[in-house]
Amino acid sequence: MNDAQTIAVEVIGIEQVTPLIKHFKLAPIGGGTLPVFSGGSHIIVVMQGAARVHRNPYSLLGSPKELDTYEIGVRRMEESRGGSHFMHDTIEVGSRLEIAHPVNLFGLDKIARKHLLIAGGIGITPFLGQLEDLHGGGVPYELHYSVRSAEHAAFLERLRRREGERLHMYYDSEGLFIPFQTLLANQPLGTHVYVCGPAGMIQHVIDTAHACGWPDSHIHWEQFSAPPVGDAFEVFLARSKISVHVPPDRSLLESIEAAGVEVPYLCRGGVCGFCHTRVLELEGKLLHNDHFLSDADKAKAKSIMPCVSRAHCRRLVLDL
Amino acid sequence: MLVTGIKSKPVYAPLQADTRGRFHLMLGMGVGAAPLLRVIDEMRSASAQSLKNTRVLFVPDAGAGHAGAALGVEQFQAAAVGDVQAFQRLAKLLEQFRAILAQSLMGTRLYVAGPESFIGLVMKIALEFNLNKDEIRAEECGTLARRVYCIHCRDTTETVRTNIVRCVGCERWLLVRDHYSRRLAAYMGVMADAEAPGELPPLKEVFL
Repeated sequence: MNDAQTIAVEVIGIEQVTPLIKHFKLAPIGGGTLPVFSGGSHIIVVMQGAARVHRNPYSLLGSPKELDTYEIGVRRMEESRGGSHFMHDTIEVGSRLEIAHPVNLFGLDKIARKHLLIAGGIGITPFLGQLEDLHGGGVPYELHYSVRSAEHAAFLERLRRREGERLHMYYDSEGLFIPFQTLLANQPLGTHVYVCGPAGMIQHVIDTAHACGWPDSHIHWEQFSAPPVGDAFEVFLARSKISVHVPPDRSLLESIEAAGVEVPYLCRGGVCGFCHTRVLELEGKLLHNDHFLSDADKAKAKSIMPCVSRAHCRRLVLDL
Repeated sequence: MLVTGIKSKPVYAPLQADTRGRFHLMLGMGVGAAPLLRVIDEMRSASAQSLKNTRVLFVPDAGAGHAGAALGVEQFQAAAVGDVQAFQRLAKLLEQFRAILAQSLMGTRLYVAGPESFIGLVMKIALEFNLNKDEIRAEECGTLARRVYCIHCRDTTETVRTNIVRCVGCERWLLVRDHYSRRLAAYMGVMADAEAPGELPPLKEVFL
C-alpha cells in the first residue's frame, strides 16, 4: 500500500462521544460508495499536518453493509505524536482526508462455534464492525467491555440497543473488572476469543487463556502500537543509495517516506508484517517494537519492521 | 496412475503428551492402545493432575468383541486414568465421543491412535466442533485399509486393501487415489476403466 492508492474523503459528521473519543463519519468526495470491507477491518488515515504527514490506523466501526460512509473512532492520546491531536483539534466537518483501502487483520473465525469478544476502552472499535457481521447469525457470542467509568463508555447506547444481554459492562470506577479466569475457564469447545484494548489487558487475556489450556489458534488480538519516540539515528538505504536521518518523534518508516522512498505497508502498527525490511549491516542494536517478528528473529537482528521499530546504532544499512 | 504425491494425504506423528491442555480425551482402536498407554506414562511423570483429567474411549479391532473390549479396559484401568470406557462397536464409541465433545470445554486435547480409517472418522466429528490442528494429535497404527468414497454414486466402501476396488454402491471398478477428504473421512475412488471399458490395472493388495 502507498499513497497512490488512497481514496479522497470528506468529513461529514463529528461527534464527541466521550471526553476523549470523537466519532468521525467519512464520505467519498463526489459521492458514490466506498470499498467493501469485513468486520474488524481498519483503514489508514493520511493527514496533511502543518509540519508533517501523519498516517494512523483506525478500525472501521460502521456496518459492512452500508458503504456510503465509513465511521471511525479516534481517542485523543496523551502522548500523541500528532495524529490523534490533529484529528481532534484540526479536523472539522467539511475537512478533506485521504484514506487507504480497508485491510482486515482481525477477522472473525468463520467456523467458530462461539465468539467471545473482550474490549478495553477504545479497543471497542474493531468489535463494532464485527458485531455487524455477527448480528443475526446463528453463532452465539458475548461482548465483555471494560471502561474507566460510565462517561468513558463510547458507543454504549448503540451497543445496549443492539446487543441486549450479550453485552456485559465493567466499570473500573465501580471496582468491576472482567472475570478473565472464570470466563476463559468455562467456554465450550470451538470458542474463539478476540481481545482489543490496552497492552496489559491483551497480554493478560493471552496468558490466562494459555493457563486454561487454550491453543493459539483460538486466541485473536489486535493492538496498533503507536510508533514510540526515541533517540535520533541515521540509516543508509542500500538500493536507493541515500542516507536518512530519523528524528526522535518520527518513525523509521515515516522518515524513509519523507525522503521519497516507498515502503509497502498495511497496518503501520507493528502487526501485519507487510513493511518487513532486511537489515544488511548493523553496528549497534535494533529496538524492536512490533508484534510480528518472533523473539528468535528479533534476536537475530536480520530484519526490522520500520513502522514501529527503531535502532540505537552507529551504523544501519537497510535493503531499500 | 494418479495415486501418489497428493498433498491431502494425511500425515501422522507419534503421540506426545501436551500438558498445556486442561482435559485430555483419548480415543483408541485395537493396537492403538499401545501409543495411548505410552502417552499416559509420559503424563504420569509430567503432571498427576493431567492424568486425573484424562478420559479414554476404546474399541478393540473388529471381531475382537467382548473379550477385546474387556482387555482394553483392564489395560487402561491399570494405568489409573480418570475414566475409561470400552465399546464393542465403533459406532457406539463415536456416538459417545460426540456426546462428550458437546459437553467439553476449551482447553481439551484430543489423542487418537488406531488405523487410519478410525482416525478419519474421529477427526470428522472433531472438525464439527471446530477443534484445530493444535488441539488434536493422531498416531496411525494397525491396518492401512482405506475407506473409499465413490465420486460417481457417493457410496463409501469400507476396509479397502487393494489398488482398485468394486464400489459397494454402483459396482464400478474404482481406482483408489491418495486424494483424501477430511470432511468425508475417506479417500476418493474414481472409475478405473472409464476411458477403455474393461481395461483394468492388475489387482494388487497395497493397503495392508
